[in-house]
Amino acid sequence: MVEYPEIDRYSSLDSPMHRFDPRAKLIAFTILIFSIVLLPNLKLALIGLLASILFLIASKLPLRFALQHIKWVFLFVVPFIIIMPFTVNGTEIFSFYGLTMTYEGLEYGILVAVRAISAVILVLPMIATTRFDITIKALAKLKMPNMLVQMFMFTYRYIFVFVVEFQRTWRAMAARGFKLKTNVYALKTIGKALGTLFVRSYERGERVYQALRSRGYTGSPKTLVVFKMHVLDYILAGTIIGFAVSLHIIPLYLHS
Amino acid sequence: MKREAITVRNLSYSYPDGTKALEDVNLEVYEGERIALVGPNGAGKTTFMLHLNGTLRGTEGQVEIFGKSVDTMRREEIVKEVGLVFQDPDDQLFMPTLFDDIAFGPINQGLKEYEVRERVEKAISSLGLSGYEDRSPHHLSFGEKKKASLAAVIAMEPRILVLDEPTANLDPRSRTELIGIINELNEREGITMVIATHDVNAIPELADRIYALNRTIIETGTPHEIFFDGKLLKQNNLDVPDVFKLFEVLRCFGFNCEKLPLSLDEAISGLTTVIETEGGHIHLHIHEHTHEGVKEWRNKYGHHVPK
Repeated sequence: MVEYPEIDRYSSLDSPMHRFDPRAKLIAFTILIFSIVLLPNLKLALIGLLASILFLIASKLPLRFALQHIKWVFLFVVPFIIIMPFTVNGTEIFSFYGLTMTYEGLEYGILVAVRAISAVILVLPMIATTRFDITIKALAKLKMPNMLVQMFMFTYRYIFVFVVEFQRTWRAMAARGFKLKTNVYALKTIGKALGTLFVRSYERGERVYQALRSRGYTGSPKTLVVFKMHVLDYILAGTIIGFAVSLHIIPLYLHS
Repeated sequence: MKREAITVRNLSYSYPDGTKALEDVNLEVYEGERIALVGPNGAGKTTFMLHLNGTLRGTEGQVEIFGKSVDTMRREEIVKEVGLVFQDPDDQLFMPTLFDDIAFGPINQGLKEYEVRERVEKAISSLGLSGYEDRSPHHLSFGEKKKASLAAVIAMEPRILVLDEPTANLDPRSRTELIGIINELNEREGITMVIATHDVNAIPELADRIYALNRTIIETGTPHEIFFDGKLLKQNNLDVPDVFKLFEVLRCFGFNCEKLPLSLDEAISGLTTVIETEGGHIHLHIHEHTHEGVKEWRNKYGHHVPK
């Protein structure tokens, strides 16, 4: 059995996030993500992080599944936490062979990390609580350009075919004694295998296009989908957007 | 005389690199007929089928659907008449869910929403896929995907169905099911069928007439006519049903029947007739020509005796 990279594996659970109308969910969380990413100071960012975690808990997604996705972001933010403290000028914490760690730098590094992690956490209640095809349909309903919607749709469909095809190629190589090593031969072989995979994808693309044409495709596939906003959807979306906006407005009053 | 559903006249096609794929193909299929298209790998079967709905256009010649040239038909018109089921269901199923995929054709035909839903419902239930509406293709087995591709095409209610290797790579049960479904569509809805296949055992059940294609049409005839033509079979690497082969061997052992059976059903009725006329039993024996006969039989199919 193939392990598919499915973001919507737990979309059939039931939680307030799952019941949230997909269109409202996309808009509300997108606004909240931008709001948190643009926050100027650490205290507010921590409030954002806390809110993100609460939304994640409310979505009832399994923690392991969530961590699996969040861990990749750590790889990107860790360099900031390490480098920033030594490169931003400010109050010295300690000095080590000419490298000076500053309080401001440390704060800035952590701020970057907190913002990034919050954003990624929020993506989960936004995307992982709806079947991905419905998310795409919601995007189409939100008037996202048709070309982009089609790209999403076909990518989503064929990424799984691609995964299986790549796995098959890989197994065929392993079955004939190929081992992955860091030498020129191994790299060359992988290059060739990838080349084959590209050619095959190209050919499949051609056949898929023929199949599309054979069923009357004229450039804009349409789907049938019924969305209906309920009172709760308006309230939830309003609350999230209100919170996102107030993160930026309230500090203005506090300072004045 | 029945109407001609498909008429192909002097069709030729070359690949962009100049290789000739089809040369002077002539063929006609009558309304309600079931045609099997046989021929070795690379004979141009798939290329030919892509001409039947105008996906590929011949460098020369004509394809007519119910008397209308595909060159003059609009895309929507052709697609309404001719449904093409591709060999690889992963090429055919391109939408995120089964429902979307089956609805794709009817939506493109400009049907109203309730009509689309009706069509999808009908296609899904006639292929036994109820309950799978929201599944994505990567969560279906190969057999289910194969059925889904057929559902996606019959939802458009074409009068002609063109199927590329419908039984290839299926497990025995799915294969039998699919053959049953194809025949039912032919009988109940009167859909004309063109089926490319290597599955010779299925042909007697699936086809009224065979076209042997190898770049050009080599021969046409009923399954009996084609399968009895030893020379034609040998020259074109074609095979015959196993039942037929078995009865050829039995004939070497003195079994006497008028017409060699191509399918199990025919075998049963043939055996019954022979047993009834010969007094309640069949008689097999080894006589002077048996070994020679068997040797000849082996030669015919290229089964060489291992040394």
